[in-house]
Amino acid sequence: MQLNNFIEKNKKRSGKGPKKFLAAQAHLPYVGPISIWIILFVIAPLGVVLYFSFLTRSPVGKIINIFTLENYQNFFQGKYGIIFLKTLLYSFETNILCLFLGYPIAYWIVKYGGRWKTTLIFFVILPSWTCYLIRLYALKTIVGRAGLINSLLLNLNLISSPLEILYNPYAVVFGLVYTWLPFMILPVYASLEGLDPSISEASVDLGATPFQRFFTVTLPLTKGGIIAGSILVFIPTLGEWLVPMLLGGAKVMMAGNLVYHYFVIIGNVPAGCSVATVLTSLVLLIIYLSIKFGGEGALERIV
Amino acid sequence: MKSSGRSTITLTVLTVLVYMIMWAPAIVLIVFSFSSNKYGISWENFTTRWYFELLSNVGVRKALARSVFIALVTVVIATVTGTLTAYGLYKFKFRGKGTLRTVILLPIIIPYIVTAGSLLVYFTRVIHIPLGYITVIIAHVSFSIPLSVFVVLGRMQRINWTLEEASMDLGANKLTTWRKITIPLLLPAIIASAVLIFPWSFNDFTVTYFTAGVGITTLPIYVFSQIRFGTIGPVINTIGTIFILLPVIGLLLMNFFQKKEML
Repeated sequence: MQLNNFIEKNKKRSGKGPKKFLAAQAHLPYVGPISIWIILFVIAPLGVVLYFSFLTRSPVGKIINIFTLENYQNFFQGKYGIIFLKTLLYSFETNILCLFLGYPIAYWIVKYGGRWKTTLIFFVILPSWTCYLIRLYALKTIVGRAGLINSLLLNLNLISSPLEILYNPYAVVFGLVYTWLPFMILPVYASLEGLDPSISEASVDLGATPFQRFFTVTLPLTKGGIIAGSILVFIPTLGEWLVPMLLGGAKVMMAGNLVYHYFVIIGNVPAGCSVATVLTSLVLLIIYLSIKFGGEGALERIV
Repeated sequence: MKSSGRSTITLTVLTVLVYMIMWAPAIVLIVFSFSSNKYGISWENFTTRWYFELLSNVGVRKALARSVFIALVTVVIATVTGTLTAYGLYKFKFRGKGTLRTVILLPIIIPYIVTAGSLLVYFTRVIHIPLGYITVIIAHVSFSIPLSVFVVLGRMQRINWTLEEASMDLGANKLTTWRKITIPLLLPAIIASAVLIFPWSFNDFTVTYFTAGVGITTLPIYVFSQIRFGTIGPVINTIGTIFILLPVIGLLLMNFFQKKEML
């Protein structure tokens, strides 16, 4: 019925015969399935989350149709507010660290990589193709309580009981950098690789010191790579929950852990939805800004 | 030039250090998967015993089979839908095309935990589908389609479309043209997208954990349940080794097909 209405409406609007109308709808067999899929399984779930985030939870865990802003108020106040701020802080720190580590490495690969460039980049990409749960587990085999560092120190009699390296904010930020660093190196590498070497040669000819050359020529020209890398690192870090869970324990939580806590552990769906909504809005805002300032295809280039 | 030499050395040291930190955990894991020590983190003798133990572990075998099954179904659905979508986006002009292109990317832009949580709420509280294979596959397909669309779209910008027109001019109908011309032309990209999606789905933990419900333990979920309480053991080391070596194979395959695509 609805389809008929739709066709009628379109016929009237275009004022053309049914044959022309059919030709105008030739894209539907191709993009129809995905449109339905996205509406059903992407847009609708997000819409539901947005809607539920304003509802009330009954004591038995049911969702009651009473409008409230309490879920948001709770999230921005008190200990949850601190978790939110810390999420932003850890993501920011991770981003900065990834930049300060990733840029020099990308630079080194481009400058000294020679014929090993592809191989070197291969070894940067490779970890991001491994289940990152496994990478975190592997990290624990080194820095964990029963890990390699502790067993080494114990065997050398430098310590008498194992050190607790994990379960503090430093461990979490370290884990985040460890996980997301490849996503900074890659776009920066791509933008450095795309640089025209004659520009930097020209600056040398004009008397620039290596220092000046880097900060006034190379760095500004690779701004695009830095921004892309920052987005690729910052966005997933914001929604991170496994790194804080496995390396931070109960002491260091991020917003993603709150989502898990509300949805799975205590079953407070509206509260979980409000955290999810805040995270999604933040991410979409960042994407919107990057499109606005980075131009149309910025997003697709990044992805 | 002296300061330049020193900064080169600093840069090199930093690079080596970061590579080491990035790879040390993986190497330690692989090495200790061959150690006969049963606590998994100290070296005794070389053994391949844990790999045989892995093979005989029913839990692991079942988890592996589930993961492969889910990844295969996801690859098929996502690649077919993604290829159709890419074709539609490339060939036609229609209203809302820009919006569609942006919205397709949503599942890989929004945080995983949000995708996972929103689907969990949607399945259990709104459309009431019991959590299981269907929900996991729906979730996996959702975050895999964007990859497929953009891999295939990338290829479309580089192929020779006159072949398709020629086939139509010579009297082939739409379906025959698709079968004989379009698909073979796109095949390298279709395979590349499949190779990309498989590990993406196979490795996923967050979304699977939320949408699988009880009972559908995939390999990452199995690993998680083992390490959550600090178990470090040789069997996990062997699983980890497989997880680390799998993408090596995947990337080499990708490389192979991309080289073929160049021809």
